[in-house]
Amino acid sequence: MKGYRFVIVFVLLVLVQIVLCNFLNLSRYAVLSYLPVLILMLPVRWNRIVMMLFAFALGFLVDFFSTGMLGLTSLALVPVALSRGLVVAGMFGDELGSREGELSLSRFGLPKFALATLLLCALYFIVYVWADSAGTLAFWQCALRVLLSVLVSTPVCLFIATILRPE
Amino acid sequence: MAKGRSVYAGIITAAIFILLEFAALSMLHSSSTLQNIWINRFSHNVMARNWGAVERIRGFFSLREQNEILAGRNYELFKEVQHYKELERSLKAMAKLDSAGLAPRFNYIPAEITAMGTNSRHNYIIIDKGSIAGVHEGDCIVTPNGVVGLVYSVDKHYSYGLSLMNERVSVSARIGREGLVAPLLWDGKRSDHVILRDIPLHLDIPAGDTVWTSGISKIYPPDIPLGVTEGVRLVDGAIGVVDVKLFTDLASLRYVIVASNPDRETIEEMSR
Repeated sequence: MKGYRFVIVFVLLVLVQIVLCNFLNLSRYAVLSYLPVLILMLPVRWNRIVMMLFAFALGFLVDFFSTGMLGLTSLALVPVALSRGLVVAGMFGDELGSREGELSLSRFGLPKFALATLLLCALYFIVYVWADSAGTLAFWQCALRVLLSVLVSTPVCLFIATILRPE
Repeated sequence: MAKGRSVYAGIITAAIFILLEFAALSMLHSSSTLQNIWINRFSHNVMARNWGAVERIRGFFSLREQNEILAGRNYELFKEVQHYKELERSLKAMAKLDSAGLAPRFNYIPAEITAMGTNSRHNYIIIDKGSIAGVHEGDCIVTPNGVVGLVYSVDKHYSYGLSLMNERVSVSARIGREGLVAPLLWDGKRSDHVILRDIPLHLDIPAGDTVWTSGISKIYPPDIPLGVTEGVRLVDGAIGVVDVKLFTDLASLRYVIVASNPDRETIEEMSR
């Protein structure tokens, strides 16, 4: 039952992300995206290859249905999926996988979860902004855009995490 | 065993990661003009760096070949330097001979043409230097590019000579530096044209060879360039004649040089 709920909420959140991409423009220097936390919240037993393929497909889906450029979100999300295992092992320990448990904010606490989310968001937005600017923005402009996007998106990601797994 | 499997899995993961990123970049490349230009520029930069690296490697491995070429050139230069050293030694030896007291074979006196006939078959020339200047009967009149004539009589200040455009004047000439020697004389046609007579019929004289004074003469200095051959022709069915175009047109001369051989009388006495 928990599994079905997770899938339904996940799909709904993807649809909401597509809507946000199409209609929400915060600023030239801020992008709102909670896709990194969707990747973080995927089942721990998934291996990296499956995780990367899923991230690629998810990014393709979001790009396809939004006004963004095809391939941009996939490009940024695949590194998140690759590094997700390292972040989880570093932040929450190896026993998470062996206990067949799942990630949740309430289980591991806000600081650890927020730091893990922050790292993945930072990685996501570094790649995203770098590819999106295509060499047309100066370094400090790109850095500002990454910083603001991470600051805006991380709290939203934490909120999304509570929706996905409320326990 | 488990470690090997882990490495294998790591390689597979990395390969799939690269593949997916490459696929994403390809999609981005084709979906946006700006990203297309950006990726192309990046790609060209990478290719340029690769080509540069390959060229450097190729240059490193072709050093042996370059060294062989340089060694060959070094050898050629060495031979050339040796050749010039030998020439220098020869010149120094000749200079020593000159300073040993051997008198030069000819004395030279510059002169200007005062009058010259060109309209008959027995043309003359008058120059503004005479016996006071050291001109003698029998001296020859030359220029750096040819023979002009022969001094026939001398006054104190002027000299009368027979021009090369005179049937009585003949010059000993040589075809090429070491070729056939034959008498050169005017054929009475043009002021820049003479002939070499008595050419053996079996000899083939190519056109374009330079004709020089032979030096086998008590009158004319050796190795004065006279003209170039224009080919051989047969005269009277038995005599070979070479046409020669002179380097200087005799009718347009103004300044000449009188060449005087101080040993001429001695040579004439010995030949009697």
